[in-house]
Amino acid sequence: MTTTTTPSSTGDRPSAVTPRLRARSEAHRRASAARAKMWVGAICALVVVLPILLAQVLPLPDPDAQDLGDRLAAPLSGGHLFGTDQLGRDLLSRVLHGGQVSLAIGVLAVLVSGAIGVVLGSVAGFYGRWVDTIVSRLLEAQMSLPLLMMLLLVVALFGPSIPVITFVIAIAQWPEVARLTRSLVLVEREKPYVAAARTLGLRKVVVLLRHVVPNVLKQATLVVLLLLAQAVLLESALSFLGAGPQRPFATWGRIISDGQDYVTTAWWMVTLPGLFIVLLVVGVNLLGDALRDRPRRSRASRLRSLLGRGGTDRLDRDAKGARA
Amino acid sequence: MIRYVGTRLGQGLLTVFLTVSTVFVLIRLAPGDPAVAYAGPLATNEQLAAVREQFGLDDPLPQQYLLFLQQLFTGNLGLSYSFQASALDVVLERLPYTLTLATSAILLAAVVSVPLGVWMSRRTDTRSETGVNVVAIAGQSMPDFWTGILLLSAFAVVIPIFPASGFATWGGLVLPTITVAILQVALISRLVRREMASAFAAPYLTVARSRGVSERVLTWRYAMGNSAIPVFTALGTRFAAMLNGVVVVEVVFGWPGVGSLIVRALETRDYPLIQATVLVTSLLAVGVQLLIDLAYPLLDPRVRLGKASAA
Repeated sequence: MTTTTTPSSTGDRPSAVTPRLRARSEAHRRASAARAKMWVGAICALVVVLPILLAQVLPLPDPDAQDLGDRLAAPLSGGHLFGTDQLGRDLLSRVLHGGQVSLAIGVLAVLVSGAIGVVLGSVAGFYGRWVDTIVSRLLEAQMSLPLLMMLLLVVALFGPSIPVITFVIAIAQWPEVARLTRSLVLVEREKPYVAAARTLGLRKVVVLLRHVVPNVLKQATLVVLLLLAQAVLLESALSFLGAGPQRPFATWGRIISDGQDYVTTAWWMVTLPGLFIVLLVVGVNLLGDALRDRPRRSRASRLRSLLGRGGTDRLDRDAKGARA
Repeated sequence: MIRYVGTRLGQGLLTVFLTVSTVFVLIRLAPGDPAVAYAGPLATNEQLAAVREQFGLDDPLPQQYLLFLQQLFTGNLGLSYSFQASALDVVLERLPYTLTLATSAILLAAVVSVPLGVWMSRRTDTRSETGVNVVAIAGQSMPDFWTGILLLSAFAVVIPIFPASGFATWGGLVLPTITVAILQVALISRLVRREMASAFAAPYLTVARSRGVSERVLTWRYAMGNSAIPVFTALGTRFAAMLNGVVVVEVVFGWPGVGSLIVRALETRDYPLIQATVLVTSLLAVGVQLLIDLAYPLLDPRVRLGKASAA
């Protein structure tokens, strides 16, 4: 086969691969799709999260200040960017303050479910036998339970306080983390370094905690963002059904449920808070997705080129840890 | 085969039994007195006591549980407090509505999501596919009560094509079905994409392509054949989950199904009704799960039931 040396568009090495061909290659396409997702996701999430975090600082009316003379005012009227609700309360302020509650519950729930899931999943995967049997049965049992119904039941039982709702959402979510961690640990424990560590006389617990768990943790935490998205949705569904945090907290689900009665006269009461939820959840989902799909190496190598020097393994690890 | 079904059936029934028992204990631990809910806030203490005695709520808990077990095995779950009818009958009356909604939603989801997912897998990470993928992620990120209310106000109030609530005509089925299906389509099309994409990357596919097998056969016979089990499992599991009542959507659309029934039963502390609902729906869910597993050998002749089931 005769190679035609194309005029060097790619430096001095003659190559048939043009930049255009390279741009169409699968790896490049995947990387750029992941990058696009990540940017869109980050922007969507920030558009929601930043105002929520700044809700106390922003010049907004009190979320519970009623003004019956200014009921159901349309958006952009009378200094109300999102309009007002049936009691004349500023909708934007309510959405932002409600977002603080929803976000806090979501983050806490994910932390709790992540902790439970990683502990039980790694123990089940590492020790196997009866420990594994118990955890796996628990996982299966929870899958066959009517989830939302049980959540409603537990909230009815212990009262709709923020810790209870957080806990309930965490309980709903731990199986996902546990299953993933378990499968990762199952692979990891067969690796030679585990046997080597055991031969050196390290106890099983130490091997698990010091070596196995740190090695799987990075991959296990990639689902965290996806879980956060679910947690926010679950919390809003619970509040919609009246099992969310009670007044005075204005949660997203309840703002929408209140607005349901006015949907024909005041469209903004349902639409705008919902858009807020969608924007946040889409953003978080996209970010989580992009982080999962991203080619492994690119993160470290990009950082390396950014720093302008050859990276060590150490740098790779730190870079991954910092972003994950 | 028969032994496999037997074991699975036994396990399933055990799960149902444990679920129902857990619920029995949980609802009795819960604050809130069904007698108050039944007799109203103005009832005197004597009236409340009479109501409690009538429903057997003043018996010790173990005795109530024994009675409950007896009822469970005779198939009579007691009278619903609020409907004054056999709790089981009330649930079974509502069940067809939930079944209709779940079936139509899962059919719509399958019809849309499988071709969509295949299309996505054929052109992964191109611009148009990334766009569709983002839309799918958006679909999976919308709270179903919100989409429900929006669809309702758009197509039942502003442009009155469909009835706003209940199930009087078949038109009433359209909006709830779409609301439920949006989430399912988003999830399942992305699953199909993932499964198909990994099938396309597999060496056997390259070999088949080099032998001159047409792309169409490659897609539908080779790749689809090997992605069928996970996709079918996802569809089945989603369907089973919906049988527990599509709670939120049923509430939004005033759909007379099991989901809106359970919300009402929880509000009124209608113990027999809650128990009957949990029993019926978890039995159904276990049954559907079993059917899914039994269908595996049809989808993939390599699967032998009972041997690989532990994996």
